[in-house]
Amino acid sequence: MQASRARLFKEYKEVQREKVADPDIQLVCDDTNIFKWTALIKGPSETPYEGGVFQLAFAVPEPYPLQPPQVRFLTKIFHPNVHFKTGEICLDILKNAWSPAWTLQSVCRAIIALMAHPEPDSPLNCDSGNLLRSGDVRGFNSMARMYTRLAAMPKKG
Amino acid sequence: MDSDDGMLDAHDLESGEDDFYSGGTDDYNDSDADEPDYGFVEEDVDDSAMVASHRSQINYVVLKEEDIRRHQQDDIGRVAMVLSISEVEASILLLHYHWSVSKVHDEWFADEERVRRTVGILEGPVIPTPDGRELTCGICFESFRPEEIVSVACGHPFCPTCWTGYISTTINDGPGCLMLKCPDPSCPAAVGQDMFEKLASKEDKEKYYRYFLRSYIEDNRKMKWCPAPGCEHAIDFAAGTGSYDVSCLCSHSFCWNCTEEAHRPVDCDTVAQWILKNSAESENMNWILANSKPCPKCKRPIEKNHGCMHMTCTPPCKYEFCWLCLNAWTDHGERTGGFYACNRYEAAKQEGLYDEAEKRREMAKNSLERYTHYYERWASNQTSRQKAMVDLQIMRSEKLEKLSDIHRTPESQLKFITDALLQIIECRRVLKWTYAYGYYLPDHDKRQFFEYLQGEAESGLERLHKCVEKELSVFEIAEGPSDDFNHFRTKLTGLTSITKTYFENLVKALENGLADVDSQAASSKSTNSKPSKSKGGGGKGKGSSKNGGSSS
Repeated sequence: MQASRARLFKEYKEVQREKVADPDIQLVCDDTNIFKWTALIKGPSETPYEGGVFQLAFAVPEPYPLQPPQVRFLTKIFHPNVHFKTGEICLDILKNAWSPAWTLQSVCRAIIALMAHPEPDSPLNCDSGNLLRSGDVRGFNSMARMYTRLAAMPKKG
Repeated sequence: MDSDDGMLDAHDLESGEDDFYSGGTDDYNDSDADEPDYGFVEEDVDDSAMVASHRSQINYVVLKEEDIRRHQQDDIGRVAMVLSISEVEASILLLHYHWSVSKVHDEWFADEERVRRTVGILEGPVIPTPDGRELTCGICFESFRPEEIVSVACGHPFCPTCWTGYISTTINDGPGCLMLKCPDPSCPAAVGQDMFEKLASKEDKEKYYRYFLRSYIEDNRKMKWCPAPGCEHAIDFAAGTGSYDVSCLCSHSFCWNCTEEAHRPVDCDTVAQWILKNSAESENMNWILANSKPCPKCKRPIEKNHGCMHMTCTPPCKYEFCWLCLNAWTDHGERTGGFYACNRYEAAKQEGLYDEAEKRREMAKNSLERYTHYYERWASNQTSRQKAMVDLQIMRSEKLEKLSDIHRTPESQLKFITDALLQIIECRRVLKWTYAYGYYLPDHDKRQFFEYLQGEAESGLERLHKCVEKELSVFEIAEGPSDDFNHFRTKLTGLTSITKTYFENLVKALENGLADVDSQAASSKSTNSKPSKSKGGGGKGKGSSKNGGSSS
């Protein structure tokens, strides 16, 4: 308990310092619970997610960082490796490839990278995976773009 | 035993020559000690006719825990010496190459650089060496003096507390801890035994060394644990010889190939089918059949609960395969229909490749009665066999002594009684499995011949078993020696040898796939019936079975 708390506090201070350095990621610790975090990440450019802001929820387990945090999308997103309903993310570093040297910040970076480079190898969202696998990049892009507009962009007027 | 001795002699001779030519460098000889063995055994096996005569030849060694430890240590020591690396590094290499010393040597000398990279044995740090300033632990992000920091070969700095946590987590995750890498995400450096020794708690260390020992058996292609409950011995098996039946020091006999109990002359597939069928909880079996498939590589049953058809088995197996066709995932992709379908499976299904398995399941459901017939006989032979084993034990522990006193005969001369019981135990085992064989035997001509052989063998065995159980009891309560006891001896010895012959014929006939029926059919109809599985054999089995019959 103490080790994970100390480590999370280090990360908290680091985040305060790095805020300006990485404008794409905004990590916020819950006011009352250091084991609950949220993050706002910007959709990477030249992807259908560009211009959107996506919210992630982190639940940090007690043995952290020996065990990975549980992360899911709170914002709806159309992506092969994200469950369309629950927001669950299929990413190796959040499962068996986790290393205690990863941080919440680096997990955010990995998720941004995943948004830019979907892995249709292990799809959680079948429809999205099928579009990409059948080579219908245009179809995929327009679906992903639509959901980005609907869910991840401020409503105009 | 003759063939055994002969082999030993030849072997001695050969190793003697080795010494002579190699100028007596002991170490070198040691490392090659296994080679002549294999060469010799394989030579014999080329001719399938020879297999039978070498059945009695011991082609395996039973290892106790201390033997396993010693063998493991020997292998590690040998690799460390030949490659001039530390024993810790040698262990990492051997773990990676499934404890095959020759494979390690081959790979290493072919491309040392590549092996070092893939296995994670680095030659030096990949990050600049510390210049005396404080270092930050990569896990807890606290600062430490350089002498407090611990690293593996790569030099990535972590504090001892975090190392202990990291190591403890992976040990408790299972045997995957044997292949542990540096905590730095992209660093390939392996974490060796020395780190576990230094940093793990006493309990964790015990677990680790347990996994380490188990790996030597479980990841090794020529080793297997004895499957008997509570038995901790392992069998080192020399591949390429005839029979798979092995006998552990704990007296459990099993088939090395499928680790079920010894089932000669019936083959492993039949036995597996039969055992699956017998698992009494049919609901369970149906569930397993419907919901799980064995990993095509390590055979552990896998339940698929969600996601796509791309399966990855849990470490250490990590085999990637397609859930539908069970072939390697590397053969899959866009061409085979992506991740939720498999063209290969669909195509094979169209061609009817999976029909047989499906049909067989269907048939098994409908033919419950037929099955019950075979099962009851299979099970009753099993029970008789267990009873005979108990009888043998009682005979050895108390009755022999009594009989010896009553009939004024030394115990050594009462060996014919234990011989009879041993023969019964063996025959019950064979007979039991012939019922599994019979259940799956489709061919009508063959069935008749098989049932004839089985019947002969069975009635012989019943005679023998009755003789031991009933007639012997009279002599156990006799007042003193009598001529009748000598008659009994002659009768029992005779029955034992006749039964032995019957069963040898039965085993021989089943092992060559009842080929006699084929040759008979061929000669009488002069048309070729189904090709037999085995090439050798001819009319041998039947001929000698008739001899056996007439001598009774």
